[in-house]
Amino acid sequence: MAEMTDEEKKAQRAKDLANESKSAKAQLKQCDRQLAMVFDLNKCLGCQTCTIACKTLWTRDEGMEYQWWATVNTQPGKGTPRDWQQMGGGFRGEEPRAGQLPSKRDFGEAWDFNYEEVFYGGKGNAAHLKPSGEPDWGPNWDEDQGGGKYPNSFYFYLPRICNHCTNPACLEACPRNAIYKRKEDGIVLISQDKCKGYRFCMEACPYKKIYFNHVTQTSQKCIFCYPRIEKGVANACARQCPGRLRFVGYLDDESGPIFKLVKKWKVALPLHPDRGTQPNIYYVPPISPPRIDEQGNLDLAKPRIPTDYLKFLFGDEVEPALEILNAEMAKTKAGGKSEILDTLIVYEWKSLFGPFTTDPSTIAPRSA
Amino acid sequence: MQCTKVSGSAEQLLDPAAAAWAGVPAEALTMAATPLANQPSEYIKASRDEKQIGKCRTLNVQSAHNGTEVFFRLSWGDESENDKEVTDTNMFPDGCGVLLPIGGGDAPIEEMGSKDVGVNAWFWRANYKPDEARNTFAHGLGSTEFSKTSSIRARGAWQQGVWTVVFTRPLSVPELEKEAVQLAAGKSVKVGFAVWEGGSGERAGVKSFSKEWRDLVLDA
Ligand code: SF4
Ligand code: SF4
Repeated sequence: MAEMTDEEKKAQRAKDLANESKSAKAQLKQCDRQLAMVFDLNKCLGCQTCTIACKTLWTRDEGMEYQWWATVNTQPGKGTPRDWQQMGGGFRGEEPRAGQLPSKRDFGEAWDFNYEEVFYGGKGNAAHLKPSGEPDWGPNWDEDQGGGKYPNSFYFYLPRICNHCTNPACLEACPRNAIYKRKEDGIVLISQDKCKGYRFCMEACPYKKIYFNHVTQTSQKCIFCYPRIEKGVANACARQCPGRLRFVGYLDDESGPIFKLVKKWKVALPLHPDRGTQPNIYYVPPISPPRIDEQGNLDLAKPRIPTDYLKFLFGDEVEPALEILNAEMAKTKAGGKSEILDTLIVYEWKSLFGPFTTDPSTIAPRSA
Repeated sequence: MQCTKVSGSAEQLLDPAAAAWAGVPAEALTMAATPLANQPSEYIKASRDEKQIGKCRTLNVQSAHNGTEVFFRLSWGDESENDKEVTDTNMFPDGCGVLLPIGGGDAPIEEMGSKDVGVNAWFWRANYKPDEARNTFAHGLGSTEFSKTSSIRARGAWQQGVWTVVFTRPLSVPELEKEAVQLAAGKSVKVGFAVWEGGSGERAGVKSFSKEWRDLVLDA
């Protein structure tokens, strides 16, 4: 056999290295079960209780001021970070796709308020509570702006957390293999010991759900409340949600609402499935209110929320999903029963949480 | 490459502008992009163009020792100083590094060593505290670890579009036996260099490097 030239040797070596890294990544992605959530967008009231629940529990340290692992944005809108849907990332087929790094300004810097002056400075009646400077962006800055034209204006809320993807773009991007899926439940975590703050993950995540902490100089993100999960307690954002719209559980639990909504009835869909990461947060798409025609009469021919917009968010599967939901609603209107709607109504609060129904107040605090 | 015997103290020579450096020969090394094909991330490969990587194309290197400490003085052109503080998500610091195989073995320079032959990298970044430098060691791409302690000090100064960074360390560091190279007067070791241009988003394996090992001969 002919000797390999230097060029051939280099190419062969590059191939070997790529294969090594591929098998390392395959191991990091491997998991026995997958935790998932379903968010019912017809019930989200935009109250931001989930946002604050997460903030107070996980992101209060210095360096985390601008981090909001749970966000709720008004749609249509620019979202958080601003214009994240135009920032690339994810995959095209198998090939990773370049993405941008959002700046803190894009996320919305944490504002400083004049609490001191208003609450403790004796000027409570004279001074207004306000942020210092002139902020021009923040999370959900375009709140309730929405889309459409009066009288057919519309908006809905889109709560987002890390999708704990089956094929995480962040994991794929990390040159240090610092990102992994937990074997037992598929939660995606960034090892804070291994992470060196290179932020390729932040570029690569098409959902822009990774945050750089300038104090620890590492990347951080939603941890799916794994310390709670390990104690049988549902995620803070889910448990605190007054709208009863965040279901938590294992995707393969055929008796649970998540399996039924996602796999059996197919009324819950991932966000931007075209980005190729196979998210594990699923959404029940919003059902439109009726349109109003020029004479002021109800026009049932077309939905008020343009189907193309929902397809942009949830892919083509959103049409059959909405058909199913509308048919179920018609069924109950006619006096029938709907298992799907009963599931989505959530008569029993704890039925949201699968096996994670433990009351956190019954758990002994961590010893210092 | 010669590591010239000098008589200055570490404190004197750590100053990038020290007069003592005028007497130490400088070598201009041609730098190149690290090969994209070897990057340990399909994302990095797919999202970057090798022609755009490795902003630093020439690195001037001087090396000296005073019998107890060794010094490297690196300087290169860089129009922007990035950054003393990395406060935003899209900021990356400039940086440079000195790479030496541990135990003198023949480790592949473009792969940060191998499973069998470790490499020792001395690492300085513009956002490090004054005089801070880190000792890192690696056994292959993407495996770099920081040592718990570092006997290395470094001082950098950016002036009129030129970075000058001086590294210093005791010749021998018995406390870091497995994680650092041991040097001695009269000895010869292999050495390589890397530069990161933070303003262009260079970090991790996205950098310029000196392509091949040089033999560094320490004056007796
Ligand atoms: S949403 Fe982004 S950060 Fe979360 S697992 Fe998917 S790619 Fe990673
Ligand atoms: S699952 Fe936990 S960590 Fe993730 S967004 Fe919800 S509250 Fe925050």
